[in-house]
Amino acid sequence: MSPNRQIRGGKVIAIDNLYTVILALAFCVVLATAAFVAYKCYFQYETIFNIP
Amino acid sequence: MSTLTKILIVLLTISSIFLCGIVVTYVATADNYRQNYNSQRAKLDSLEKTTADKIEQYNQKAAEKDALENKLNSEIAKLNTEIGTLEGELKQVEALKKIEEKRSSDMASVVETTSQTSSETTKLLIDTQADLNKLKSEQIKLIAQFDDTSDTLLEKLAVIQTLQKEKKQLLEEKIELQNRMDKLLQPTGRTPAPVVTVTPRTEIARPAPVIARKIGLKGLVTAVDTKNKMASISIGTADGVKEGMKFHVTRADKFICDILIIDTDAEEAVGALQLVQEQPRPGDTVTTNL
Repeated sequence: MSPNRQIRGGKVIAIDNLYTVILALAFCVVLATAAFVAYKCYFQYETIFNIP
Repeated sequence: MSTLTKILIVLLTISSIFLCGIVVTYVATADNYRQNYNSQRAKLDSLEKTTADKIEQYNQKAAEKDALENKLNSEIAKLNTEIGTLEGELKQVEALKKIEEKRSSDMASVVETTSQTSSETTKLLIDTQADLNKLKSEQIKLIAQFDDTSDTLLEKLAVIQTLQKEKKQLLEEKIELQNRMDKLLQPTGRTPAPVVTVTPRTEIARPAPVIARKIGLKGLVTAVDTKNKMASISIGTADGVKEGMKFHVTRADKFICDILIIDTDAEEAVGALQLVQEQPRPGDTVTTNL
């Protein structure tokens, strides 16, 4: 049992670390998307930032 | 952490996942514009090249068309001039035709007269043809006779040639026999008499008998070389002495020796002594026949 679990008035309340994990998940998704876009740009146009 | 922050975190996460999904979907399904550009560019280049070729072909065809048009125009002009010339010639020919028609009408009477003459000439020609046929038949007979005569003549000529060869061989044999007889008879002081044929010329030739005659030379011994057994006599080639002749040396009625002539001069001859009975002396008599 986590020591951070808070029980207020009989309700189970999520701990703060859960939101950190959610934020990390969002960051990973954004990072993976950026990497995918960069890979596609380089594969198709042989450059990432320039306009061919 | 306040509740608002938590809500924002959740909203941010959801919205970021949603947007990222949209972006990934768009990027994954987006067209490859560079590839499309390249393919379109290649098509454009090929089309431009084709267009340039077509333009060049068009220009060539246009130039050929212009050249052909010019050529045809010049030929048309030439043909027009020829047509004009031919029309003028046609007029001249028509005029000549009228003149010739007049002449032909005049010549009709002449043709009638000529046809009569030609019929008479034809009759004459037929008669002449018959005579010619007779002459040809006679000519053929004469040619056959001439061929026979030619064959006979060739045979006779061949016989004559054979006889001439035989005659030549007989003459050569005669000369050879004459020489042999000369050699045989000269040492004995005789020479063959000329042959008198006994066969008349019209008959078949027969061999004539050989009759020898005496040479009858006579001279004196002029010098004697007893050492070499040689002697010279007072007659030579002017008197008929020849090398190889044999002379008999006599003194009164006595046989002394023989001299075989080995060298002759005009009025002198030298020979070797043979059958020496006594020593010859100058002044002894030499004769070909005893």
